[in-house]
Amino acid sequence: MLRIDASPNRITTWTLSWFLFAAGIALYFYTSHSRHIENPEDKVVPSLTQLAQGTADAFLKPDSEQKDAGPAEGSLPAKFFSSMLWTDTVASSKRFAWSMALLVPAVLLGLHMGMFPIIGTFFLRFILFFDKIIALSVLPILFIAFGIDELSKVMLIVIGVTPTIILDSFNLTKSVPPEQIVKGFTLGAHDFGVTYRIVMKQILPRVLNSIRLNLKSIMLFLFAGEMIASQDGLAFRIALLRRHMGMNVIIPYVLWVALLLFLVDLTMRLLNKKIHPWFREA
Amino acid sequence: MTDLIQLENIGVTYHSKKVLDSLTLSIAAGEFIAVCGETGCGKSTMLRLILGAERPTSGRVLIDGRELPRPDRNRGYVPQKYSLFPDKTVLDNITFGPEMEEFGLIGMLTPRYYRRRAELREQAHAYLRQMGLQPGDGAKYPDQLSGGMQQRVAIAQALIMRPKILLMDEAFSALDPATRGGMQRLVRKLWAETGTTILFVTHNISEAIFLGTRVVVLGKDDPAGSSKVMFDLEIPEESREPSGIVGRDEMDRLSALIEGAGLGEKLEIGVA
Repeated sequence: MLRIDASPNRITTWTLSWFLFAAGIALYFYTSHSRHIENPEDKVVPSLTQLAQGTADAFLKPDSEQKDAGPAEGSLPAKFFSSMLWTDTVASSKRFAWSMALLVPAVLLGLHMGMFPIIGTFFLRFILFFDKIIALSVLPILFIAFGIDELSKVMLIVIGVTPTIILDSFNLTKSVPPEQIVKGFTLGAHDFGVTYRIVMKQILPRVLNSIRLNLKSIMLFLFAGEMIASQDGLAFRIALLRRHMGMNVIIPYVLWVALLLFLVDLTMRLLNKKIHPWFREA
Repeated sequence: MTDLIQLENIGVTYHSKKVLDSLTLSIAAGEFIAVCGETGCGKSTMLRLILGAERPTSGRVLIDGRELPRPDRNRGYVPQKYSLFPDKTVLDNITFGPEMEEFGLIGMLTPRYYRRRAELREQAHAYLRQMGLQPGDGAKYPDQLSGGMQQRVAIAQALIMRPKILLMDEAFSALDPATRGGMQRLVRKLWAETGTTILFVTHNISEAIFLGTRVVVLGKDDPAGSSKVMFDLEIPEESREPSGIVGRDEMDRLSALIEGAGLGEKLEIGVA
């Protein structure tokens, strides 16, 4: 069975790949059930009913503390779009979008560092050093320097993720075979023609993959910022609910975040495939 | 004929190891030079020097009497690997050069570019046909082509620029013998038709003799030493049979020369 040349059939593949999910869910409900026998009011491992209630509250009810909370009544979509979860999702998404937008100059910097030795020499050592700084360790400095509003949270992500993306883009640029660059010159391209029309086009799908692999880091820094200093957002809510032991809402929130991240990853993967049909993923 | 390429007393040193030393060579316009030699003798370095992709440690490389510090559109290049841009279709690979030359980076955003593009693609189709490829191949990406087809496209990509010099670095080394033979005949035909000066690097002496009007053999007297020109052999066109193959008498003369210098075992004798 455990042979390196084994080729599991469809049923085996399906069973094996879903087994741990099923086992995890079973273990959860077993634990929940056991705890509820001892204490019917247990909040640590909520029962299915408690989870359903928490999910309904999160997905369909507005934030009770919010002054301009939307309607408590109305159609299901209307309730959802004025719900606590949606409001938090929009707030976090804005920060996430800002962070993603800031990765564009990071990619361009890495590309130019790889292509132009002068730019590479100027930035490389500094960014290598910058990359070693633990972003969370400078959080207090960021809050002092930029205040506790949006800028400090975005800066946290910038410090945490951009050096990695810059260095990835730099390395990918360097990995383009020199023959391609020479070829570009022999075909009449100048420095920027070679940079943008040959090298950038070749590294872009790999850069997108690198960003995909860093999505979790982006979210990690976003959540750290929101948990420490924010008035809204998914992580802010999770931190708030922690104080009230609101596990029945925290768990749906965690799963919602995982789903969102999965969807962003999937969208990026499909987009990458669509705009780079030549790229065969390793 | 005037000298198009002049290598004057070239020396190249890598990490204090001399690869080439006092290399002097002149190549006239319209010649087909096949550079041959054992692995590591510096033949690709010599090609890269002429290309402008590398600078000599000492000496000068003159193209048309001028030192040119970097590769340009007058020197076409067909390497053994990575000869095509993987992100572009065959047609886009071929039209890349004329597009860059005519429009540059910014000009490609103008409406005139889109009107001209159709003409360039038609021109690229003509080159595809000349290379023996099908029109349907134009929409394919390089990794959907065989090695031989890729090299045909790479030659078309270089020739569409009408370069003065075409530099081919072991361009057929990775091909199977049958494809390689076909490619050799194609390159000779293109050379005869276009009159482009070709410098073809190979480690296969039979290929060099089949292709070149001149065969330059690089080698070392001493294994630890640097390379120099061991032979610079003219292959008279009249010694060739109608098929292009060098006649038996000339072949015997060349073989005797090469064997006599003790290079016979070092140079790959393969299919020509």
